[in-house]
Amino acid sequence: MNFKLTEEQQLIEQSAREFAKEYLEPIVVSMDETREYPREAVKAMAHHDFLGLHLSAESGGVEAGFVTYIAVVEALSRSCGSVASIMNNHAMASYAIQNWGSEAVKKQYLPSMIKGEVLGAFAIYEQGPAPGIGPKAVVSTKTDAGYVLNGTKAYARNAGEAGVYVVTAVAEADRPKTAVAFVVDAKTAGVKVGERIATMGLRGCPVAHVVFDNVVVPESALLGAGGVQIINRTLALGALAEAAQTVGIGQAGIDHAASYAKQRVQFGMPVFNFPAVQALLSDSNTDCHVARMALYHAAQLVDDGEPFEVESAMVKSFLARFGAKLLVDSCQVEGGMGFVENMPLPRLFRDITGTTLVDAPSDTPERAIAMSIA
Amino acid sequence: MPKCLVCYKWTLDEQDIKIRPEDLSLDSSRAKGKISDFDRNAIEEGTLIVEKLGGAVDALSYGTAAVKQSLKDTLSRGPEKAYWIADASAETADAVVTANVLAAAIKKLGSYDVILCGEGSSDAFNQQTAQRIAALLGLPCLSFVNKLSVAGDVVTATRKLDDRTEEVSVKGPVVVSVLAEINKPRIPSLKQVLGASKKPNEEIKIADIGLKPEELQPKTARLSVKGFVMQRKNVIYKETNVADNVAKLKASLASEGLC
Repeated sequence: MNFKLTEEQQLIEQSAREFAKEYLEPIVVSMDETREYPREAVKAMAHHDFLGLHLSAESGGVEAGFVTYIAVVEALSRSCGSVASIMNNHAMASYAIQNWGSEAVKKQYLPSMIKGEVLGAFAIYEQGPAPGIGPKAVVSTKTDAGYVLNGTKAYARNAGEAGVYVVTAVAEADRPKTAVAFVVDAKTAGVKVGERIATMGLRGCPVAHVVFDNVVVPESALLGAGGVQIINRTLALGALAEAAQTVGIGQAGIDHAASYAKQRVQFGMPVFNFPAVQALLSDSNTDCHVARMALYHAAQLVDDGEPFEVESAMVKSFLARFGAKLLVDSCQVEGGMGFVENMPLPRLFRDITGTTLVDAPSDTPERAIAMSIA
Repeated sequence: MPKCLVCYKWTLDEQDIKIRPEDLSLDSSRAKGKISDFDRNAIEEGTLIVEKLGGAVDALSYGTAAVKQSLKDTLSRGPEKAYWIADASAETADAVVTANVLAAAIKKLGSYDVILCGEGSSDAFNQQTAQRIAALLGLPCLSFVNKLSVAGDVVTATRKLDDRTEEVSVKGPVVVSVLAEINKPRIPSLKQVLGASKKPNEEIKIADIGLKPEELQPKTARLSVKGFVMQRKNVIYKETNVADNVAKLKASLASEGLC
């Protein structure tokens, strides 16, 4: 058993930290205020190979493995959760295309997705229960020209900026409903992106509903596996990437609170010296460390080709309880200053909440964990 | 096409070093290594020269056994080959020993057109390595360089001095020490990091570079290293008259030479 990143992984993590300081920290405050999509930062991420990190060499990626991917997401999230969200959603789309896409679709999209010329969006939710197969699911109809899609995907991240969407749907002809998934070019007639939805945190990452109004896609756009399998597998990986965001944002909050506590003097000494403050910081740092260990273990299972879904659910469950608390306690350490909007902690607080609420909802992992010990 | 060599130091990251409050000694038990800050600029400058003009850039480092940890990091930043000398003498080496070792290694490696160093290391910041190497090799030295160009065998540099800048040119080979503002060191891409494993590196044994034992003896002994912590005196003036409090504060500051 070895808990250390390999030398290459450490260097890549170091590169990601350097990248975040150079490209993300200068824009993170204004991005939070204006909600502007960080176009130049995303291009720079592609230039540094972050957008092809997890993809195979055959696809033009770096094939650096999932542990490395997680380390990069954590490193970027320490500076900017929004950019990590954009990268994660893009990665989920490119992962689905690589694993289940036709050769034509892979050739058409993966090289430009790796170069950052085309942003991907993994759009699976509808405004209703059971993503992909629920009563408000997008419906696909087989025709001579391929498939016709009708319906609305809700709260799609990267919407509007994405050049390609991975969209789940139900096949109209099938009873009971069969989930399928398609790759849809954003320029296809009938694809309409709704008004951008203002989110509490992760504000640089665009979110909108996407309407598919008689959208015709060729047969090659159909992904070669059931939609449910694509959703489950990709979401399980996405949950880990999201956990890496939580850990990175949480650590940034703890580091800021510790630094502040060492500078803030009360009763003749830095508040860092007070036992109550040390208790808050030590509890937070312990929770963050435990979450990180569980997260990287689950990521290693992915790289080893072993089942990881239960461990992924455990990480998600743990962070659902303790993730946002990392920032609550950090704000508590900073007292009144932790409540001041132009200080970093309120932004981190809003961002970390986004990482525990979206994609894999906080209340679903318990079933997977319980069933594993049933 | 120039042949460049960059000398760099693998130091502890000062951000990871803690100061023990009881005696102000340094706790570096959890400190990671890093390429010394200005040396990153030297590596970048060597790489930029070669990217512009062709040629080759190698890297050379002398340190303890930990120096081996620097190789992939260094190679991911541009150099094509890294040479390393790992020896216990580096633990206590001062600028004299460091320059002796590096100069002897350079003699063994052969001739280079431009030998680049950082202006000073992140830890000791002696600012002597480039000058001493130049002296030992009988080469000219350009220090405090914030702009550098190479044309044929002529090296032109802008030196940033205290109250002026100075543009100088010299016929190479030459030793150059660079300032931080000369360039912005690149952030290695993932492919560059992974590609570093495929680049060659070679150990140079200290016994093979022809140094006498006394040349490995430091002239300077470090007696102690202590952290600097600002101490508050918590003096409170309690005179009823505000002017008296101000006068006392002024006198106190004056007694410490602060006004």
